Amino acid sequence: MIEYDESARGELQLDSDLGVKVIGVGGAGANVLDRMALEGSDVAELLALNTDVRALKNSVSSEKIQLGSTLLKGMGTGGDPELGKQAALEAVDSIREAVRGAGMVFVCVGLGGGTGSGAAPEVCRIAKEEGVFLAVFATMPFSFEGQRRMDQAKLALSTIGQYANAVITFDNDRMGELIVPKDGVTQAFAAADKIISQSIRATMNVVFRPGIIHIGMDDLLAAIRTKDSRCLFGYGLSKGDNRSLEAVEQALKCPLLDRGKLLNEAQAVLVQVSGGDNMTLYEVQLVMEEVRKHVGENTQILFGTGTDKRLGSALSVTLISSIPGPGVEGAEIPASAAAASAPVSLSSAAPAGGAPSIRLSQAESAPPLPSAEADVPAPLRGRELSQQAEEGEDETLVFESLDDAPEVETVPEEEVPSYAPDSIPPALEDAEEATETVVSDERNPIARAIEDSQVADTGSIAPIQPADLGIEQLDEDEAPGAGHVEALTESSQKITLTRVVSGSGNTGRIKTRSPGDGGSNGPVMPPTKPPAMPAEELDDGEIPDEVKQQQELLQLEPVKAKGRFAKTDPTIVDGEDLDVPTFLRKKK
Amino acid sequence: MASSNIYVGLEIGTSKVCLVVGEVRSDGAIKILGVGQHPSAGVRKGEVVDSETVQTCLHDALSRAEERSDVEINTVFLAVTGSHVESLNNRGTIRVADDQMEISPEDLEEVKKIARDVPIPKENGYIHSIIQHYFVDGQEKVLNPLGMIGQKLEADYHIIHGTKTRIQNAIKCVREVPLEVEDIVFSPVAAAQVVLNREAKNEGALLLDIGGGTTDFICFVDGAVVASGCVAIGGDHITNDIALVLKIPLSRAEKLKVTHGSASLKNISHGEIAIEGENGKTVEQELLNQIMNARATELLTVISEPLRKQGVLDKLGKGIFLTGGSSLMKGIGEVTSDIFGVPVQESDAASMSGPSALFENPQYATPVGLIRYAQLLDEQRPKKGALSKLGQRFEKILGGKK
Repeated sequence: MIEYDESARGELQLDSDLGVKVIGVGGAGANVLDRMALEGSDVAELLALNTDVRALKNSVSSEKIQLGSTLLKGMGTGGDPELGKQAALEAVDSIREAVRGAGMVFVCVGLGGGTGSGAAPEVCRIAKEEGVFLAVFATMPFSFEGQRRMDQAKLALSTIGQYANAVITFDNDRMGELIVPKDGVTQAFAAADKIISQSIRATMNVVFRPGIIHIGMDDLLAAIRTKDSRCLFGYGLSKGDNRSLEAVEQALKCPLLDRGKLLNEAQAVLVQVSGGDNMTLYEVQLVMEEVRKHVGENTQILFGTGTDKRLGSALSVTLISSIPGPGVEGAEIPASAAAASAPVSLSSAAPAGGAPSIRLSQAESAPPLPSAEADVPAPLRGRELSQQAEEGEDETLVFESLDDAPEVETVPEEEVPSYAPDSIPPALEDAEEATETVVSDERNPIARAIEDSQVADTGSIAPIQPADLGIEQLDEDEAPGAGHVEALTESSQKITLTRVVSGSGNTGRIKTRSPGDGGSNGPVMPPTKPPAMPAEELDDGEIPDEVKQQQELLQLEPVKAKGRFAKTDPTIVDGEDLDVPTFLRKKK
Repeated sequence: MASSNIYVGLEIGTSKVCLVVGEVRSDGAIKILGVGQHPSAGVRKGEVVDSETVQTCLHDALSRAEERSDVEINTVFLAVTGSHVESLNNRGTIRVADDQMEISPEDLEEVKKIARDVPIPKENGYIHSIIQHYFVDGQEKVLNPLGMIGQKLEADYHIIHGTKTRIQNAIKCVREVPLEVEDIVFSPVAAAQVVLNREAKNEGALLLDIGGGTTDFICFVDGAVVASGCVAIGGDHITNDIALVLKIPLSRAEKLKVTHGSASLKNISHGEIAIEGENGKTVEQELLNQIMNARATELLTVISEPLRKQGVLDKLGKGIFLTGGSSLMKGIGEVTSDIFGVPVQESDAASMSGPSALFENPQYATPVGLIRYAQLLDEQRPKKGALSKLGQRFEKILGGKK
């Protein structure tokens, strides 16, 4: 048995000058802090910020700062973010004092209310000014809390996005789904807090635990990558004979991961395996093999492992990843914010540092060259074909966008998202052109970038590989969200999204789609882009046949004679089905 | 009765269900009392796929075995196999307590427990844990450390495990007959008891049991099991290949394989063979051999490669022993020795009395081996006095009437 030698490695090296501070802003933030304190946070200092002095009194955090003691006199903000902001400004010195010297600050906040939405952006600004690494865990309000709170939350989120190195949003509506409906309200909220506190803890552990294969901040950033992401997080801890598999199973069972299904969509997954001294390499292998089953082929797996004596005989598995979350749409929904967000996010992308910004710049750097009209159909068709080919991923993608659609529809007309048909005809023309440039140009940069690209596509369909890569890139563009890319590409991505929907709809693959969607998506294109459209429609018309052909090619298991073994478990060695006569296989 | 025990070995193979009733005499010799067999159906690749059909076959075989041996069969030793069976080697280490000098039986149990504590897939269960060697304070290959003085005791175990549910299905099928399953044994472990003698095991030998649906193997070096496993390819595949390539029914393909086929490509007598009942359709001897050779070569390569990597092929002093029905195929020995680079031995059955002619047939190696396995198991059990044995028997009878 190969065992890790713990003695060779130092104990946890937590430099005092690189302290971790967890700041809870507002009521929801304080709840998360309480949960963390309850579970016994070992490394981090907890700091609660609130306007409501009674709530603050009840908090168990080690440090507390009352916001707006003169302005509000110990009362809450009554849901007014402006008051929250003023209150935070009043306490700016003590906040600055508290943040100073910390290496890493986690801010957890429930957005939508007065203190959270008002003070949190200020806290983030101060933290940024102090030059700390800032990660924000934000909870978006329930949709039943009303549109106003949702708007406040989104506005605050976009402001926070300017300052934070990483923003992870938890959607309360989704939290609601995760928790058994009949659970008591206390339990439900406690469960939500627990999920958040666990992810903060896991993030800290991953970064600070000594690693034999170390995971650094850069890996973490690569995994959570975007500022408007839905965080996928899973944590499992197990003891006993079969601890490695049990721990992975637990981690995958974590509600945010949806039993590992959502991992399929992720671009990068961070896996951290920790155990006591007796953790074996074999166990780590088991874990990784299990994880690999759940992620897509092209997913980048960021792997780290380390030993931690405190775990004793237990073994823990942490999975962190993200997929584009509600924030992608959310960030630019308010008309005013949409205008502001483009320049803002540019500036924010710059200081972000690390992997994400590199990826973003990759997307941005595709030079918007003028394009020949003739180029359009080919890549488009190729793209849609490959969309179809990569069935699994795309269906989920499509469903994703469909799921989001109703949410968008609840938004009043004036604040329509940029891809709704009526609101943007003027913008759309530009956008259309942008699409062309992006789509057609992307081929070359991509072709060049193949070597560098982490998404090295191993797709088995050689003919459409270029297009395939193109799609990867587009997917990637969608993922970081429009908020981070300049306005031009931003709208083009939206169109890409809608096209994906209409494209897959045409082939009749997704039956759940209501005809209304098709109607609303269809008209987006024709009136604004007469020259390109006919061609595209033609393409769409052809697609079903071609898709079928493509699909048949894709069937990796050739229909071969297996005779009496046709219905048995296949005997597969080195990828070959040994039930097929050797003679027939070797003859080829 | 006190001096001999009767055991029944049951193998539900892909091609036949076979029950062998054997009497183990006090001097250790085995006398075969009777055999019941029936062509099996509902078994694919060594595993039960149609329980009802298998039970019908089993009933038939059972009544024949009871008739011939004049023994009422209640409990059997069941041979299991299938592609799900895997094996691995693991070493367990314990430190003997300071105040205790000699290694005690408890220490052996403890070290066994530790050696067995390897991560196997959750759905798998242990079939065998076979001791390979003990090490006492680094002294290699101690056979019996009991009572030795030492501080550190290590044990190498060969662990054979398989998917629990798939094994349970086989047991369930037998229980419903109804027959009680006393123990399950991985087929090649049983077959090795008969085919390989002590000398072969010590000098290093590989047993290849090429059956109908599976090929099982077990490898001994220095008297210990170092590798074992199962590949779900057997004689049926060869028949199937012939049928598919030549486009003839399976039954004719089987006949062609048995009467004319050879796995070897050497010394092919050029000519056409008429396929019976197929209106003058003929097949070239060369083509038939090529089909069979391709399959046999592939099968043997699949088995030999991991063994070569493990480095055990160089240690096979006694070479390879072929058994199982498909080992009767012409030319298979030649192909085997070519691929493994190790000579193939003519297997000869161990000393046994009774209608022994039948049991020199390699088709019966596994069920007969089960009896020997049972005998060994019995020897390992603590010896009991005649009185306690009698008491136990009464207990059994009373318990059985519940």
